[in-house]
Amino acid sequence: MKLIKCIIRPNKVDEVKDALAKLNIAGMTVTEVRGHGKQKGHTAIYRGKEYNVSLLPKMEIEVVVADNLADDVVKAVVQAARTGEIGDGRVFVLPVLESYRIRTGEKES
Amino acid sequence: MLEAANRDDHFMSLTQPGSGGPTIVATFDAARSEVEADALRGAGGRAALERYSDRVDAMLRQLFADAGGHELRVAVIALGGYGRRHLCLQSDIDLLVLFEGAIGAKDERFVRAFLTPLWDLGIVIGHQVRELDDFTRLEINNAEFLLALLDARPVAGVRSLFDRFRTLFHTPSTHAYILKSLLELVDQRHGAFNSTLYQLEPDVKEAPGALRDLTATRTIAMLTDPLLLRRGPADPARVDQAEDFLLRVRSTLHLGAGRNQNVLSHDMQERTADLLGYPGAEPRQRVERLMSDYFRHARIVTRALDWARKSAPVPVGPNLGLSREGIRFLDPIVAARNPASWIGAFQAAIDHSTDVSEEALSCVQQHVDRYRADDFFPEAADRAALLRLLTPREGLYARLSEMHDCGLLGRVFPEFQAISWRVVRDFYHKYTVDEHTLLTIRNLERISATTRPDRVRFRNILAAVVEPELLVLALLLHDVGKWRDDDHALESVRMAVDVLDRLHLKGEARETVLFLIREHLRMSLIAFRRDTEDPEIVKTFAAFIGTEERLKMLCLLTLVDVEAVSPETLTPWKEELLWRLYVDTYNHLTQRYGDELIERNQAGLDELLKQRPDDLSPGEITRFLEGLPQRYLQLFSREAIYRHVRLGRDIHPDEVHVSLERGEAAIWTLAVTTLDKPYLFSNICGVLSSFGMNIIRGHALTNPNGLVLDVFQFTDEERFLELNDEAHQQVLQILETVVSGKEDVTRLLKGREQGVLHSKNASRFAPVVRADNEASGRYTIVDIVANNALGLLYRISRVISRQGCDVDLVLIATEGGKAIDVFHITKGGSKLTEAEQQSLTSDLLRTLEGSL
Repeated sequence: MKLIKCIIRPNKVDEVKDALAKLNIAGMTVTEVRGHGKQKGHTAIYRGKEYNVSLLPKMEIEVVVADNLADDVVKAVVQAARTGEIGDGRVFVLPVLESYRIRTGEKES
Repeated sequence: MLEAANRDDHFMSLTQPGSGGPTIVATFDAARSEVEADALRGAGGRAALERYSDRVDAMLRQLFADAGGHELRVAVIALGGYGRRHLCLQSDIDLLVLFEGAIGAKDERFVRAFLTPLWDLGIVIGHQVRELDDFTRLEINNAEFLLALLDARPVAGVRSLFDRFRTLFHTPSTHAYILKSLLELVDQRHGAFNSTLYQLEPDVKEAPGALRDLTATRTIAMLTDPLLLRRGPADPARVDQAEDFLLRVRSTLHLGAGRNQNVLSHDMQERTADLLGYPGAEPRQRVERLMSDYFRHARIVTRALDWARKSAPVPVGPNLGLSREGIRFLDPIVAARNPASWIGAFQAAIDHSTDVSEEALSCVQQHVDRYRADDFFPEAADRAALLRLLTPREGLYARLSEMHDCGLLGRVFPEFQAISWRVVRDFYHKYTVDEHTLLTIRNLERISATTRPDRVRFRNILAAVVEPELLVLALLLHDVGKWRDDDHALESVRMAVDVLDRLHLKGEARETVLFLIREHLRMSLIAFRRDTEDPEIVKTFAAFIGTEERLKMLCLLTLVDVEAVSPETLTPWKEELLWRLYVDTYNHLTQRYGDELIERNQAGLDELLKQRPDDLSPGEITRFLEGLPQRYLQLFSREAIYRHVRLGRDIHPDEVHVSLERGEAAIWTLAVTTLDKPYLFSNICGVLSSFGMNIIRGHALTNPNGLVLDVFQFTDEERFLELNDEAHQQVLQILETVVSGKEDVTRLLKGREQGVLHSKNASRFAPVVRADNEASGRYTIVDIVANNALGLLYRISRVISRQGCDVDLVLIATEGGKAIDVFHITKGGSKLTEAEQQSLTSDLLRTLEGSL
């Protein structure tokens, strides 16, 4: 199993969700997050004063999928979340060692 | 006929001159003998004094008739104790002789003829001779006279004159002044008696717990709440008994001393105890019983006064009092008949940081169904009061909730009633639609006073909104369309139109409210669901919004609306997205509008041409508009645009065409067209400052043909324009001479500038100046935020011109004491170089700091 963690633009959530649904991936966790990548944000100016906007609002989508699906999921997310501009985000793929269903305590394969 | 009518109006006009009755002396002697006999029996209490007062009334009527009073427009009015019919044996008789018009020789003859017999009888008369007009102004140097006037009672003469006097005299402001004076007088008087009622030789008139305190208690009730004493801890009958006792004692003192002497001294105590029939073998025992009764009664009076002082509602408006329970209707019966006064109760509660009392809420609840929406704001002043109530500040949510609970909100806005307890099931909303709506207002109210660091930025936006009550009105109505299940924003707009019609809200204010309701979901959609880093998205949104004022209001509306969905809905993340969209759009509106010019096929142009008045040709309008920023069409109404086109007609170098109009809230609008030349903008600003005008908003625009249109909104704090007939002409003349270079504006400003430099209004923050070449494709943008001061724009623009720059566009705004100006400038037709920007900003900063 793989945990796929996608940091994307807030306005791309719906498109990414739709792309995942097409791959029959229903379960996901969506979190509002703030952060910055290489660019370390930018400077905003309001009424002549500069505001350092180092942490940009992003959305984080996490899905856990079978190993054989991971590549397709990454491709789908990249395609759906891409604008070609700086700030499109990142996708991380992490191994998942074990997974349990809380309701039953049953270990998932 | 006139004579007959005059007589009918006379109070007790049956008394005829010389009617053959007993002589005045005999009448008076009989009256005195009777009251003396009463005093001698220890029965000189209330009933006896009322009889004596009535006899004196009759005597005065006779004298009035004998003196020819019936031939005149005059009234004789009893004041003070005599007005209350508590005239004691040796008391002064206080009278007001009131004439309808100016007092002439005949009137003076009457006064002499009327008063002389009284003097002859040795009666001490305290008289005031006045004209009715005297009571149009509050006489603030004689509180005791005003107090005596509260007891005014007509005795003889023209009754309607007395009624007119009452109407003039009994006003809320006079009552408030008298109440304040009365409380001061009571304190002073108590001070003279070391503030204790337990005096061994008490003055039964002046001492704490004596007659004056009793009158003060009743006066406080009369001025604030007629039912006050009934609510108190003491049985009003016991207060009446105390009064009767004190009057009986006073009568014995007057009888014994033969003069107006009110001290129950040791020697008088024995005699009084005897006259009042106290039992006891020894005089000492009888005196002790008398004094013990005295202290008992004085204590009742003192307690009643203390209660009245503590519990009396403070008058806070017509028929409104501030009491311990909150805002009360002083007379619930009057209130029930006057629904237009109800809004005032809620306003007063906000003003005094209190609730509306349960009693008042019940009164509203009981009667609210009898009235229609219009009954609550029949007059323009009532409609203005309703809007004023909606100003976001602490207490507004609580008051609106009270109004909702007692049924008033739903009657004032039947549209709101439609969403009462309305449940709409979705994944987000946690409250009924009405409560969600009221919570948006609570959230806005909280923003208005927040100190949370992440929220202060929104508080600053709110503080800058010119008419925040319109935002609250929009919030109140934004979801009323949810009574139906389809597109609620459009339904809300449809319903809001009716509300705005009833409120007679027109023009820009009306459009703003409808815009906010119609678009209340747009900003959250763009902020949370669109790529706001895409400049095109911001550009489209900015074009849609049009003005900074609407942007500010929509941003706040969005924030509080999302926050009111549920406690979890508005996250710091969402706040940040919203704030960024606000800033980007604000910057677009203020900095980039110069790049978007009106073109031949501009949207909205057709309509403007179609609706044009007969005197304007399509060519004339398009020539004027082409090359002006598109924003111009959003800033001004069609009528204003036509006016500007006319103003720009046939203009020649050195000519200035001006229109000057006074708008609402004493804000003047000056529109100037002329042909561009160096120092033009600073010269116009300088002229306005030289007349002491405080510029609060404005726009300077230039079209490619060099036609300049400057529109300034300013306040005229010295009221120069209002008070001088020639002022308009004078401003125009000076503008012409300055613009044509015949007069140097610095000379005109000399005295004014001195005033500014030495003004006490010292800087509260360091000025901000920032030049930027990125925001606009054509201009260097200079943002300036500084303390507002007379002549500020003049000084800024003069520096810009001195640096060889052309002022192409200017956006002028003020927020409280802050001036926020955005200049779009070029030098030799291009943006400024880095070095030129540096030189300009340091020059500007030096100028601004120099004027701190």
